[in-house]
Amino acid sequence: MEIIEKIKTNKSVDNFTEIQKICLHKLQSSPLPNPKSELWRLSNKSKLSTFLEYSVNEKDSKFDIPYPKNSQSTIRLIIGENCQIKLIEKNYSIEKLSEDELQKYIKEQISFFKQNENWSDLLNLSLSCKNNILGLKINGSKIPPIEIFSHASSNSLNAKTLVIFLEKNCDVELLQVNLGKENSSLSQSTFFCLKENSSVNHGVVSYGENRSNLLNSLNVIQQKNSAYNLGSLHFKFNYARFEISIKQSAGNAKTNIKGMQITKKDEQISTYTKIEFNGPNGFLDQINKSLADDKSHAIFEGSIIVPKIAQRTDASQLSRNLLLSNLAQIDTKPQLEIIADDVKCKHGATISQLNEEELFYMRTRGITLTEASKLQLSSYFQEIISFIPISKDKWDLLDKLLNEN
Amino acid sequence: MVNENLVKDVVKEPYKYGFVTDIETEKIEKGLNEDIIKLISQKKEEPKFLLNFRLKAFKKWQKMKEPDWAALGYKKIDYQDIIYYSAPKQKEKISSLDEVDPKLLETFDKLGIPLTEQKKLTNVAVDAVFDSVSIATTFREELAEHGVIFCSISEAVKNHPDLIEKYLGTVVPSSDNYFAALNSAVFSDGSFVYIPKGVTCPMDLSSYFRINSGDSGQFERTLIIAEESSSVSYLEGCTAPMFDTNTLHAAVVELIALDDASIKYSTVQNWYAGDEEGIGGIFNFVTKRGKCLGKRSKISWSQVETGSAITWKYPSCLLLGEESIGEFYSVALTNNLQQADTGTKMIHIGPKTKSTIVSKGISAGNSKNSYRGLVKMGTKAKGSRNYSQCDSMLIGDQASANTFPYIKSQQPNSEIEHEASTCRISEDQLFYLQSRGIEFEEAVSMMVSGFCRDVFNQLPMEFAAEADKLLALKLEGSVG
Repeated sequence: MEIIEKIKTNKSVDNFTEIQKICLHKLQSSPLPNPKSELWRLSNKSKLSTFLEYSVNEKDSKFDIPYPKNSQSTIRLIIGENCQIKLIEKNYSIEKLSEDELQKYIKEQISFFKQNENWSDLLNLSLSCKNNILGLKINGSKIPPIEIFSHASSNSLNAKTLVIFLEKNCDVELLQVNLGKENSSLSQSTFFCLKENSSVNHGVVSYGENRSNLLNSLNVIQQKNSAYNLGSLHFKFNYARFEISIKQSAGNAKTNIKGMQITKKDEQISTYTKIEFNGPNGFLDQINKSLADDKSHAIFEGSIIVPKIAQRTDASQLSRNLLLSNLAQIDTKPQLEIIADDVKCKHGATISQLNEEELFYMRTRGITLTEASKLQLSSYFQEIISFIPISKDKWDLLDKLLNEN
Repeated sequence: MVNENLVKDVVKEPYKYGFVTDIETEKIEKGLNEDIIKLISQKKEEPKFLLNFRLKAFKKWQKMKEPDWAALGYKKIDYQDIIYYSAPKQKEKISSLDEVDPKLLETFDKLGIPLTEQKKLTNVAVDAVFDSVSIATTFREELAEHGVIFCSISEAVKNHPDLIEKYLGTVVPSSDNYFAALNSAVFSDGSFVYIPKGVTCPMDLSSYFRINSGDSGQFERTLIIAEESSSVSYLEGCTAPMFDTNTLHAAVVELIALDDASIKYSTVQNWYAGDEEGIGGIFNFVTKRGKCLGKRSKISWSQVETGSAITWKYPSCLLLGEESIGEFYSVALTNNLQQADTGTKMIHIGPKTKSTIVSKGISAGNSKNSYRGLVKMGTKAKGSRNYSQCDSMLIGDQASANTFPYIKSQQPNSEIEHEASTCRISEDQLFYLQSRGIEFEEAVSMMVSGFCRDVFNQLPMEFAAEADKLLALKLEGSVG
C-alpha cells in the first residue's frame, strides 16, 4: 500500500495544497481506519487494500460517456476536465466557487471530521489535487438539469472532489455519475450545502467494470426549509462503500433517500448513512434496497440521531434486502438514537428472497421462471430508479440492470 | 397540556426492598487471585474438575479486557475491592427449614417469598439464594417423586457431578466474554434444574436472589437441563438493599433443551437502582443463553427489567435443532440515571427454526434505554423465520431510547423481519381517560401497561400481576 506508506512518511509535500497538508497530517497518526470500529468492522480488509494498491493518478485518460446528451440545455461537467464554468442567465446562475470560499468551506468541514467516520473524506482530500476539485455555486430556478461525471482510469487511483452551494430559493436537478474502469480505484467526496428554501433532486449512479473499486462519500448540510431528495444506485464494483452523512442544521427540513446496491460474484458493496436532526420538525423518509447474488456481500448501516432539540421529528427508515444465493450474505443494521420525546421514529428491515407465491402465480399464467423473476426484480428496482433524476427516460438503467442480472 | 411534574412524580416510589438484614456472615478477604478461587472451591468441597474449570476461566479472564462497546458510562470497577464469597453463618447441615436462621426466613418473608411451610400453598417451588449461598429449596420431595432435580448448584456438584461435568460451560463457555469468564472463576451458588425425559414439571420453579452485603459481588450460576419431551417453567426474582456503593452482579444462566423439550424462563429483575443522583445501585452484567439442541425444542425468555443502575443483558437462543423455536419477550424500564442495554441474540443454525422478539423499552428521567439485538441466519438455516418488534416509549425530554438491531443472513431461503418504533404517552389518550373520571396516575399506568401487554401476556400469572404493579410503582411520579 504505497499510498499509506507515503502518508506515513509524509513525502512530496512541496506542491501540496494547504488542505492536502491538513488532511495528511490528520491521517499520519493512524493512516488506516480502525477495523474494529462499527463502521469498518464488516468491510473486507483485503478488498480495501486492493483499493489502496494503485498509485495516484492526477490526470485521467479519456473515457466514454455512457449515454448521449438528451437536450442541448443539459449542463454537462466532468471533474478534472472542463472546470471553467460561468453561466449567468436571466433566471439562474452557475459559477465556480472562488478559491477562498472553497478553502474556507472545506477547512470548516475538516474541523468536524472524525478519524473513522470520515476516513474516506480525509483520504480523498489528501489525494485530490487542485484540478480535481470542482466547486460550484448555483442560484435561481428553472435551471437546466446538471450532469457531473467522475471517473477513474485503469490501473490507477483517482481522487475527485465536488463542492456545491445551493443558494437561497434555488431549485435544481443534478445527476452525479461515477464510473470505474477495469482495475481502478475512485475516491469521490461530495459536499452539498443547501441554503434556506433550496431544493435539489440529486441522483448518484455509480458503476464499474471488472475489478473496479469505489469510496464514495456524500456530506450534506441542510438549512431551514430545504428539501434534499437523493436517489442512488451502486453496482458492479469489486469493492464499494457509499457513506452518506446528512445534517439538518436547524431542523425544519425534508430529506428523502432512496438507494440501492446490487452485488454479484465476490463483490462487496456497503452503504452507511448517518442522519442528524439538529433542530425541530425535521422529516426523513429513507429506503435502502440491497440485492446479493453469487458469493457477494451487501451491507447497510443506517443511523438516525434525534437529540433533545429535535422535537417533532418524523423519521422513518426501511431496509429491504433480497438474498438470491446460498453463498451470498447480507448484513443490515438500522439504528435509532433518540432523546427527544415528541417524535415519530420508526425503522424496519427485511431479508428474504423473491416471493415464491408471486412467481408461482405468474408461471400459472404461462410466464417462464426467468421472465417471472425479471418482472419481480424490475418492480423491485423501479421504485429506486424512478427516483433518480434525469436518467429516468433517457438512460435506460432498468434494462441495463435486468440484462446484467 | 400534560403536567410534566405530575408525570415525574409518578415514578418516584421509594425502593421498598432496600432494607439490610443484620445477620452474622462469613466473608473471605477482598480481592481476586488463584488462592481465593481455591479457597472458594475448598469451602464448597468441590471435585477437582470444577476447580480446574474455575482456574482455567480465571486465566482466560486475566487476559481479557473489560468490554466498552456498549458505551455505558460507569466508574471503573476495581475487581480487587470485591468480596467474592459471603455467606450467612448457620449450622453445618440443615435437614429442614426449621433449622434455617429465623432472621433469614424473616427476610424472605418481608420480600414476599414463601419459604415457610404454611406459605407453601402457592404451589411454586423456591430456591432462595442469599449473597453467595443457597438458603433453602422448597418442595424438594414432591419434585423428586417426578424425578425432577431442583437444588442449589453446590448441592448438584456434590450429588450429580456427572451432569454438572457434562453440561456446565457448554452453552456459555468460560471464555465467552469478560463477565462470563469472571463468573466461571468465582461463581458461588445458583440453581440447578434437571427435568427427566417425558416429564412435565408439576409446578413452577423459582429462584430468588438477594444481595445483602454491600461489598460482596454476587456471581450465581444457573443450569437448567430439559431432557427429551420434558417441559418446565422457571421464574427468577432479585432484590438488594440500598447502599451508596455499586455492587457487581455477574451471573451466568445456561439452558439446554433436547428433542421436543421446552423451557420457559421468566425474570423480574428489581435490583436496587441507585438514588436519584445515580449514587449506588447494582451493576447487572449477566450472560444468559439457551441452546435448543434437540428437534422441535423451545426456549422462551421473558423478562421485566426495572432495577439495577446498569443492566447489560442479552438472553440468547442458539437454535441448533431442526424446527426449534426461540422467543424473547422483554420490558425494560429505566428511570433517573439508570442505564439499560438489553436485547437478545437469535442464532439460527438448524433448518426451519423460528424466533420471535418482542421488546418494549420505557425510558423516563435522565435514563438511557437501548435495545441491542442480533438475528443471524446461518448457511444451513433453510426455511427459518424471524420476527422482531422493538418499541420504545419516552417519558420526558431528558431520557434516551436507542435501537441497535444487527441483522445478518447467509441463507436465501429464510426470512427476517424487523420493525421498531418510538412514541410517547399521547396527550389525547390521557385527556380521554381523565375525562372519563380516571385519575391521572392510573391513566398513565393503564397506558404503560397497555404498551407492555404483549410481553405481560407471556409471563406466568403470578409474575404478570407483580410486573404490572412494579411498573406502576416505578413510574409513580415520573409521567406528567
